[in-house]
Amino acid sequence: MESASAAAGNLPGSGGTEVGGKGLKSGALGYLSNLVIGIASTAPAYSIAATLGFVTAVAGMGLHAPAVMIVSFIPMLLIAAAYNYMNKADPDCGTSFTWVTRALGPHLGWLTGWVIVAADVIVMATLAYIAGVYTFTLFGLTAASESLLDVSIVAAIWIILMTWICYIGIEISARTQFVLLAIEIFTLTLFAVVALWKVYITGTPGSVNVSLSWFSPFGLRGGTTALVDGVLLGVFIYWGWDSGVVVNEESRDSANGPGRAAVMSTILLVLIYVVVAVAAQAFHGPHFLSNNSEDILGALGGNVFGSPLDKLLIITVLTSASASTQTTILPTARTTLSMARFGSIPKAFGRIHPRYLTPDISTLAMGAISLVWTLFIINASTSVLSDAITGLGFQIAFYYGLTGFACTVYYRREIFKSLRNFVMVGLAPLLGGAMLTYIFVKALITYSNPAETETGVAFLGVGVPVAIGVGLILVGVLFMVWANIAYPKFFKRRPEVADPGILEGTVVGEASVMAE
Amino acid sequence: MSEIIVGYDGSDCGRAALDEACSLAKALEDKVVVVFGYAPGGYGGGEIPSHREAVEELGEQITAEAAERAERAGVEHEVVLLPRKGYHAVIETADERGARMIVVGSYGDPPLKGVILGSTPNKLLHLADRPVLVVPARR
Repeated sequence: MESASAAAGNLPGSGGTEVGGKGLKSGALGYLSNLVIGIASTAPAYSIAATLGFVTAVAGMGLHAPAVMIVSFIPMLLIAAAYNYMNKADPDCGTSFTWVTRALGPHLGWLTGWVIVAADVIVMATLAYIAGVYTFTLFGLTAASESLLDVSIVAAIWIILMTWICYIGIEISARTQFVLLAIEIFTLTLFAVVALWKVYITGTPGSVNVSLSWFSPFGLRGGTTALVDGVLLGVFIYWGWDSGVVVNEESRDSANGPGRAAVMSTILLVLIYVVVAVAAQAFHGPHFLSNNSEDILGALGGNVFGSPLDKLLIITVLTSASASTQTTILPTARTTLSMARFGSIPKAFGRIHPRYLTPDISTLAMGAISLVWTLFIINASTSVLSDAITGLGFQIAFYYGLTGFACTVYYRREIFKSLRNFVMVGLAPLLGGAMLTYIFVKALITYSNPAETETGVAFLGVGVPVAIGVGLILVGVLFMVWANIAYPKFFKRRPEVADPGILEGTVVGEASVMAE
Repeated sequence: MSEIIVGYDGSDCGRAALDEACSLAKALEDKVVVVFGYAPGGYGGGEIPSHREAVEELGEQITAEAAERAERAGVEHEVVLLPRKGYHAVIETADERGARMIVVGSYGDPPLKGVILGSTPNKLLHLADRPVLVVPARR
């Protein structure tokens, strides 16, 4: 017997012999590991490289990009509370797809699963694009980094390689992740320190002094509209921390640990983002970021660090993007695997490769669709990153928002039992959901006008980000109608209510088996 | 009576290993313990439990076939499923039971592929505290 994943998959502390209820060893992952996975999945270096330039480029944003980082963090923190409490109720069974199915019924649950998959496919294009551009930047091949054909080729190789890695189940261990993340955070911090040092001590042409107003969400020239457009991008920056929550049963104290780790990782992330955004903006001003929005860390790196240290920044973005690709493909494959096991999509997606023990059909399908999408969007859109990330913002807001509402609805009989329950279990997730809904609707109105978008062209009468983001949600509705006919049993499920004992701690959240 | 541990994954080489273990067990009057290790990879992201359940189901199906095969061979047998990487599950079971030996199949992959994918026989040869018999698939 030979196992592919044996190569690298051992997690810290996996030497124990304690066996959990279902035969799964508990305690394999500690709090720290959850934290690391949550932050690593968010891929800070890549997220900043892909997004910060577009935030500063939002019309009427001015110098308020750091404020956007802070404001975007608020709904994320509120939704983290929802993850925390849904995880308590159901540490045994999946994430948004299963939670929303339980709390709000099969239709919204199915749509949530669809949107997660769609978002993951779309983000593959931005990941592969960044990987392409930064690969060329690393070797100083500026001309190639601007050629659509060259970037498409590297992007395609990147996706094929990453899909293959997920297919045969090679993965870097949590320990390696930890080291990579440490390097990533160190590099970003060093970048911020050196940039601010040069601004204040040695002086840099075109630098801007930091002012308190940068952190204020008020007084933007573009008003609320600019703020909301920025936050829609900001939502993308924080996307991914939920990965740390869903390690679930493998974690010590699985009902509490992962949720707390999610909250902690969100707080750490906001610190990283605000500091880096401030430093990047102070160094050459926001216009430099807007003008180099597809490659801001590459563009700034040379001037902040100088050669050859600037390569460190580029390598960090690349490793960050590769970690993010891995934490995109496999979880997506698992979402479709889960949906297949629930009997809500074709059974083939539930297949497991007998040697590699990975969901092989789901993984290959994810890779193939991502590849087609990526090549299409890189060549079809003149500002791939901006359009795709804005589109993603809609989808993330959609399914995070639903998860927030799901929490409040699921616990509706518990929230009036104590003030703590009311605030933490009821109000916070509801408020998070409401904020994301507001952002979704407001941004939908703005971006429906093609003139407001980076591309400036209309697709089916709306801006490209809306076509990508909201269009694909609507396509999901069509597919759901089909699934309703093909898989009637799944759609007859009734929404459930939380067991009163979960919050009182007398009942350990246990999933009644949802899969067929 | 001692025990012979077989690492089994339902492949051709796994079957070859099982058959070899069965004939050894018959001669030595030992019991065959079929071990399937399942540890779904990919700790990041959603829906891990579904993945694990799917792998567990696969394991149950595979080991049921193994039990049938051992039954036909007429040896005493037992099945163990453990949520570990394959080599880890085999070593742990062997140590716990003080087994006589470990029998495992080899895909016959070129060594470099083993380096990339990880080779269970190779790991067992170096890490196990008892004799290891590696059985290639019949070609």
